[in-house]
Amino acid sequence: MAARSRWPLMRAVDLNAGSRRLGAGLGTEQAATPTPTPRYPPVLPSRSAKSKSAQGRRVEEFFQQVHGAPGGAEKIRLLTRIQRPKYVVYPQTLSIEADRWYQSFTKTAFVPGLPGRLASAAPGAALELGQLRSLLCEALLQENFYVKRRRPFLYREREQTVLPLLGNLVPRLISALVEENPLLGASSLDYEPEVNFYWLRGERTVPRGHRKGHVDPIRFQIDDKPYCQIRVPEQLPELVPLEHSIPEDVPVIQIEPSRLPLFQRQYDNNIFIGSKIADSSCYGHTQFHFASDKLRREKLIKDNLTDQIEVRLRANGIASLFAWTGAQAMYQGFWSEADVTRPFVSQAVITDGIYFSFFCYQLNTLALSSGADQQNHRKNICWGTESMRLYEDIEGDHVRGFNDEVLSLLVHFLLNRAESKKSSIS
Amino acid sequence: MLHLEHNKSVNIHSYPLYQLGNPQLRIFRTNFFMTLVRPGREQPENTVQFRIPMEMTKFDVKNYLQSIYSVPVAAVRTRIQYCTNKKRNHKNQRVKRPDYKAAYVQLAQGQTFTFPDIFPQKDQTPEPGSVEEIQNKFLEDEKQKQKADPRRGGVTDWFGL
Repeated sequence: MAARSRWPLMRAVDLNAGSRRLGAGLGTEQAATPTPTPRYPPVLPSRSAKSKSAQGRRVEEFFQQVHGAPGGAEKIRLLTRIQRPKYVVYPQTLSIEADRWYQSFTKTAFVPGLPGRLASAAPGAALELGQLRSLLCEALLQENFYVKRRRPFLYREREQTVLPLLGNLVPRLISALVEENPLLGASSLDYEPEVNFYWLRGERTVPRGHRKGHVDPIRFQIDDKPYCQIRVPEQLPELVPLEHSIPEDVPVIQIEPSRLPLFQRQYDNNIFIGSKIADSSCYGHTQFHFASDKLRREKLIKDNLTDQIEVRLRANGIASLFAWTGAQAMYQGFWSEADVTRPFVSQAVITDGIYFSFFCYQLNTLALSSGADQQNHRKNICWGTESMRLYEDIEGDHVRGFNDEVLSLLVHFLLNRAESKKSSIS
Repeated sequence: MLHLEHNKSVNIHSYPLYQLGNPQLRIFRTNFFMTLVRPGREQPENTVQFRIPMEMTKFDVKNYLQSIYSVPVAAVRTRIQYCTNKKRNHKNQRVKRPDYKAAYVQLAQGQTFTFPDIFPQKDQTPEPGSVEEIQNKFLEDEKQKQKADPRRGGVTDWFGL
């Protein structure tokens, strides 16, 4: 049978001649039209099959849809549409070593101290420090001495004095510094705003159940409520260049987040900076947080956990500022597959009435999900100080042992603005 | 006076009642026994896992470790593990596996703990010249004889000459 089905030699030769002629013909066609249009549609994997390539195609099409969405609002709606269980990250937490875990969730490197621009003395403000000092002392005395209050509720004694102190102090400082920094004149001050952020980081294999073996991204949500914040229409200038590399590392923790302990819930995925997208003041300047009774210093010292005081303050700073800067970036239309092209900078002051800590944050990357993070060498950077005492004691109507360094840092923070000539506010 | 019950553990019903003005209750020899266990799921380095009696609380665990063993404890979390009542014995009666309480203790001052390897793998190679080695060699030779000729390339005996 093999012999009978073998073709005669002449026919085989003819076939070769035919293909040679065809090849020659095609060559001339190609020389005439340099880019031939494909004759058949591209070979794509299925969209609805139960395969990895189909899953990849669905993901790609979703990313194309988000890329094509007009404006930040539509992109945020598409990315936060589907509710799934997510870890709720609380900025003010009682967990041990929370700052290292939060750094790994947000890909942040922590640098102790402040960057040079904010730590060095500003020339113009030296004269006014006296006036601002008296303003600050007056606000302190008002809350701690002059005002008569009822007996405070259990574990809410500090709240009674510190929240009105901040509420009085911040607008008065802003109005005193408006001539130096016209940006503050165009700013908006929010009281108890909601700041929310939702992001994906890392992957997890489902251990049990009908979805066993599936690989899911790990979702996080921060819902923060600073006591007050200043939003401005112009972005703060960058502290270091976008691709700048610093020696500090981002801690990588391989253990799953529930061991922190961190708990999962499912509800609306919110991304919010304090105002809606249409608001013109869409960039953040400074947040003021009240270090609540979870961060009580006396209790930590009594429990022999003195090192955890700074850990909790750092965790608060990193989480709150990451959420705020991330939400600002998403308002501008950046997301994990469309990484930020300029760094987003914000500042925060955390206080419990006596101790002040200053933090500033530069968001260099939003690409934290497992697919986007593989080729990403950027990391977010957080600078922060240790907590400093503002005053030693209040004796009667006199503030003793006032610390000018804290006041000067506060003034530098509020005077921070972009020095460019293109700024329309001057 | 402490009245110990049949299960021989000090529980809330046997502590004397506190009345205003009483001195701080101090217990010098508890009947609690804690078992350090290997965690089933991976835990952070500063976390140690224990099985504790049902009557113990987080504060009892903390005081126990700090007073008796001088271990600095930052935080304690507990949970109760319910074990199955579904298994049945040869008489078809349900057999309960006892419940237990687990405690996760986080150590303070940056201390870490990893559960040691209690059953290390022993080196399985027998000594040269011993009986086991000759026996193993004999068994390996027998297995080698049972296998097909490798030159046939996996083709079975059904084919061929």
